[in-house]
Amino acid sequence: MTLQQKLYTVWAFFTVNLKRLFRDKLALFFTFLFPLIFLFVFGGLNSGNNSVSFNVAIINESHAPFAKQFVKQLDKQKSLKVNKNITTFAAANEKMSRGELDATIELPESFGQSELFFRGPDTNFSYSGPAGQAIVHYTQNNQSAAQTLTTVLDAELQGINAKLVHSDKPFSVISKQNNQRSLSAFDYTFTGLLGFSILGAGIFGPVNIFPELKKMGILRRLHTTPLRVWQYFLSVMFGSAVSGLMSLGVMFVVAMLVFHLKVVGNYFQLGLFLAFGITMILGIGLAIGGWAKNERQAAPLANIVVFPMMFLSGTFFPRFLMPHWLQGITAYLPLSPVIDGARLIATEGKTLLDIGSQLGIIAAWMVIVYLIAFRVFRWE
Amino acid sequence: MTKTNDIILRVENLQKSYDGKKAVDGISFEVKRGEIFGILGPNGAGKTTTLEMIETLREIDGGSATIDGIDVATNPYKIRSMIGVQPQTPGFQDKTKLTELIQMFAAAYGEKVNPKKFLDEVDLGDKADSFVESLSGGQKQRFSIVAALVHSPKVFFLDEPTTGLDPQARRNLWELIENVRDRGISVILTTHYMDEAEVLCDRIAIMDRGKIVELDTPKNLIQALLKRGFKKEQKVEQANLEDVFIDLTGKGLK
Repeated sequence: MTLQQKLYTVWAFFTVNLKRLFRDKLALFFTFLFPLIFLFVFGGLNSGNNSVSFNVAIINESHAPFAKQFVKQLDKQKSLKVNKNITTFAAANEKMSRGELDATIELPESFGQSELFFRGPDTNFSYSGPAGQAIVHYTQNNQSAAQTLTTVLDAELQGINAKLVHSDKPFSVISKQNNQRSLSAFDYTFTGLLGFSILGAGIFGPVNIFPELKKMGILRRLHTTPLRVWQYFLSVMFGSAVSGLMSLGVMFVVAMLVFHLKVVGNYFQLGLFLAFGITMILGIGLAIGGWAKNERQAAPLANIVVFPMMFLSGTFFPRFLMPHWLQGITAYLPLSPVIDGARLIATEGKTLLDIGSQLGIIAAWMVIVYLIAFRVFRWE
Repeated sequence: MTKTNDIILRVENLQKSYDGKKAVDGISFEVKRGEIFGILGPNGAGKTTTLEMIETLREIDGGSATIDGIDVATNPYKIRSMIGVQPQTPGFQDKTKLTELIQMFAAAYGEKVNPKKFLDEVDLGDKADSFVESLSGGQKQRFSIVAALVHSPKVFFLDEPTTGLDPQARRNLWELIENVRDRGISVILTTHYMDEAEVLCDRIAIMDRGKIVELDTPKNLIQALLKRGFKKEQKVEQANLEDVFIDLTGKGLK
């Protein structure tokens, strides 16, 4: 057989199996919809606004119009989520003890009553109008939240004070946003989910399919033909790279439309890098599925291999949250450089030339897993 | 003695052991070009192991097999391109059209073919765009046979081809196998059905416990037994139950 004929074999297997994928509803679900479900669940948890917000209850015991006005104003505050169902201290305390409330803001009866006036003995400053003191109640575990909340309320009251009493302040501070983009939590979540999707398709795909093909004698029958293992693997690799890129492409589009993901890197380089990563992870699946005689051999081994990567490669929480020594080790797990590289290109605008260390680790794993896969492959 | 170039398959002292137990114990036989050769024997006699060694699926422990003068053990890929194999239970991937499967099988041999032409040969032309899981047992067997012949092999192996088929499908398959033989392809099959061996096979080898105990044409084997004084209770019936079944349900395929 000429090389051209041998490559035609690869092409024919690739095209027929790709057509087959689009007829298989279950495979379509796991390829395209399943990753999207994860994207919506985890994306929903992490997106929204990035600013901190507090769950609070407001207990207003004052009847003054000013107090009513103040409650309305707090309700508009972005950083506060006011739970309006809570009107008594008993209810508030119970919620706080369960951690569902961060703090309770009390406006005492005297708050905002306008008969109060203030005249300092050592100043000639005088004021008559609404005044009062709000109290922030919190539990042991919520000190920092309460402190921040107190600061927020203080700022709010300062603003009101300034309107009521004119005074010049020599010092002040304002915050200003600069234009530099920084990584949001969603950027980490999204590339982690890309990794999760690659892991699922690349490993659980072949691990589920190969024992089935062996059970039905399909591989055994192919074994009676001159088909070589490398031809078969190559056709599976092309198929996985194409379906994998389509699946990741859908994730990108949804993430950009729904979760406002900004891709700053080069799409071609990103696609090339992801195809490279998919092919390497697929090698792990080919090794396990190709070796296993049946599902009972394949499933436990696949889980042993997948679980460390699922939790240590940055799929569900970013690796930078780990202790330093653990980051150093987990960087060498097969999936870690895939997730890191995807994030570096997609959200940080790096090029393939910048991520040499990631490419190197992937290439090293590529050699290892395919050497094993070819060695342990069994047709039946 | 037959002339060398009339022999397509030559098996000499072939051996295979599993855990010290001899599954195939030094068998030798020859298959002529264009004949249907049957291997009969009880379960565990070593029929399937013998076929699998010749098909390059199992390593040969001892002895040799050559197809058209080419050694099986040393040239597995060359041998695979010369043989067609119909396994005991034909398995094909689902959700794949018959034409696509034919295309894939041809591609495995590095060939491009017109799938429709092959499907027409076995009356499956109108099923060309169906998936294999929608075929009946007999249709599946016919498809399996044509899929094994896409590359025009010299030898065709069938492992218990008619097990589980209804009488009409069996007869149809016999006809098909005879057609294959008439195209000059040597056919080697295993079977548990004596009537099948008697009707279909030009010569048969009877195996027991890893050895060939007898090898001849069905007619000669029966004559030899009678000569040894074997007598069966005579029943002069002009028909049997299968004749009744065929008479009632017709010869045509369902």
